[in-house]
Amino acid sequence: MPSTPITPSNEHIVDSTKQTANTDNEAKTEVLPHIQGKKIGLCLCPVCRKLNVTSNSHCRRCFSQLSSRNYASIQQSWALLVTATILLVVANIYPITLLTNRGVVTNDTIFSGISHLVKTGMFPIAIIVFTASILVPWLKIFGLATYLTAISFNLPISKRKLMVGFHIIEWIGRWSMLDLFVISLTVALVNMGQLLDAKPAPAATAFALVILLTQLAAKVLDTRLLWDRLENTNDTN
Amino acid sequence: MHEFDDHDSIILCQSCDLAVRKRALPSSARALCPRCHTALYDSPYCSINGMLALCVAALIIFIPANLLPVLEIHFLGSVRTTTVLQAAVTVWAEGYWVVGLAVMVAAVIAPGLLILSIMAQVVIVKLKLHNSFWQRTYTTLLKNHGLISQMTMLEIYVISFLVSAFQLSDFSDVYFGMGTFSFTMLFIIILFLQREYNLEHMWSYVDA
Ligand SMILES: [Zn+2]
Ligand SMILES: [Zn+2]
Repeated sequence: MPSTPITPSNEHIVDSTKQTANTDNEAKTEVLPHIQGKKIGLCLCPVCRKLNVTSNSHCRRCFSQLSSRNYASIQQSWALLVTATILLVVANIYPITLLTNRGVVTNDTIFSGISHLVKTGMFPIAIIVFTASILVPWLKIFGLATYLTAISFNLPISKRKLMVGFHIIEWIGRWSMLDLFVISLTVALVNMGQLLDAKPAPAATAFALVILLTQLAAKVLDTRLLWDRLENTNDTN
Repeated sequence: MHEFDDHDSIILCQSCDLAVRKRALPSSARALCPRCHTALYDSPYCSINGMLALCVAALIIFIPANLLPVLEIHFLGSVRTTTVLQAAVTVWAEGYWVVGLAVMVAAVIAPGLLILSIMAQVVIVKLKLHNSFWQRTYTTLLKNHGLISQMTMLEIYVISFLVSAFQLSDFSDVYFGMGTFSFTMLFIIILFLQREYNLEHMWSYVDA
C-alpha cells in the first residue's frame, strides 16, 4: 500500500536537545506548539519502539502488528481494575496466614499482622509491610481509576501530574510482592506441627491475583489516549 | 521504505505520542519528553564484554543463591532452614499454587531467564552469528526482554529476608544462611547488568 509521506516542517517539531537532562539535574523547558505522531502519520512499534509510518501494518524492524492507538485498552484496563478492586477487598477481609502456636490457632489478616508488629514495637518493619501490603495496592487502584476516569470522561486534571502519577504507579506496584515472599519464607520455615506451624490462607491467592491484575491494567493501557482526548480542552499542563 | 529516511531523526514519546527531533546526547545524559517527562532515549552504549562477564558471574552465583539455606530458625531445640526455591515449592504444595507460582517466577525463573537471555544476545552479537536461525532467536529474545526484566523482583526479595527475620524473631531465634549472602550478591550483579544493558542499543544490531 503506498503511503503518503508527510514531511513535518522543522519549526513544528520540538527540539529535544533543549530537554536533555543529566540524571541528577533534570532541566524542564516549555516548548510549544506540540505535534502528535498520529497527526503526521507516524507511530511507534508497541514491541521494539521503532518509528514506523501508520499506514504500514507491521513493524519494519521486528514485524509486530502496528496500531496508531489502542482504543479497546481503556475498557480492558477498566475491567482488570474492577476485578482487582473486588479481590483486594477480599484480600483485606479474609485471613492471609494461619498460625498454630502450642495448639492455639490464630487467623491473621493483612491488617492484624501489621497491628501485631506495631504492638511488639517493630515500627520500621510495620511501616515496610504497611506500605507494601496496604498503601501500594490501594494507591495503585485509586491512581489507575483516576487516570482512567480522566480519559473516559475528559476530566480537566493536569495531564502532566497524571502521567507522573502513572509512572510512579508502574514503579511501586511491584513492591506488593513483598508480602508473598515473606509468607512463602515463613510457611517453609515454621512447620513444627502442633507446637508452631504457619500455613497460607485464602487471602494470599486473592492478593497474588490483585498484583497480577493491577500490573496488567497499567500495562495494557495506551497512555497516548489521555493526550489525544484532552487536547480539545485548553489544558496544556 | 525510502520515505523513512527523512523520519529517522524524529522520535515519538511512547507515553503521549509527541513528535520530538532526536539529537546526539552527551554520555550519561538522557532526553526527557518536554510535555510529559517520560524518558525518551539515552546515549545508546553498552559494553558487550562487560555484560558477558557479569552474565557469567550471575550464572555462577545463581545456583547457591537458590539452593543454599537463606534463613534458619531455632525453636525449643528444633532447627528449621529453607531455601528460596524450597519456600516457593512449599507454598505450592500447601495448595496455594497461584502464590507459589508468583514467588517462583519473580525470584527464580525470571532472574534465570534474564541472565540466559542477555548472555545469548551478547554471544550472538559478539560472534556475529548472522544466519536466519540466530537472527530470529535474537529478535525473539529482544521482544521478550521487557517482560522478563519486569518480572525479575530480586530487590524486593532481599528486603523480604529482613522483614521475615524480624517477624520470626518474635518467637524464635533467627539466623541468616549463606543463601542470603549469595542471593544479595546475585541481586547486586543483576542490578549492574541491567544498568549496563540498553535495549535500544541491542535493537540497533538488527537495523544494521
Ligand atoms: Zn517493532
Ligand atoms: Zn511525552
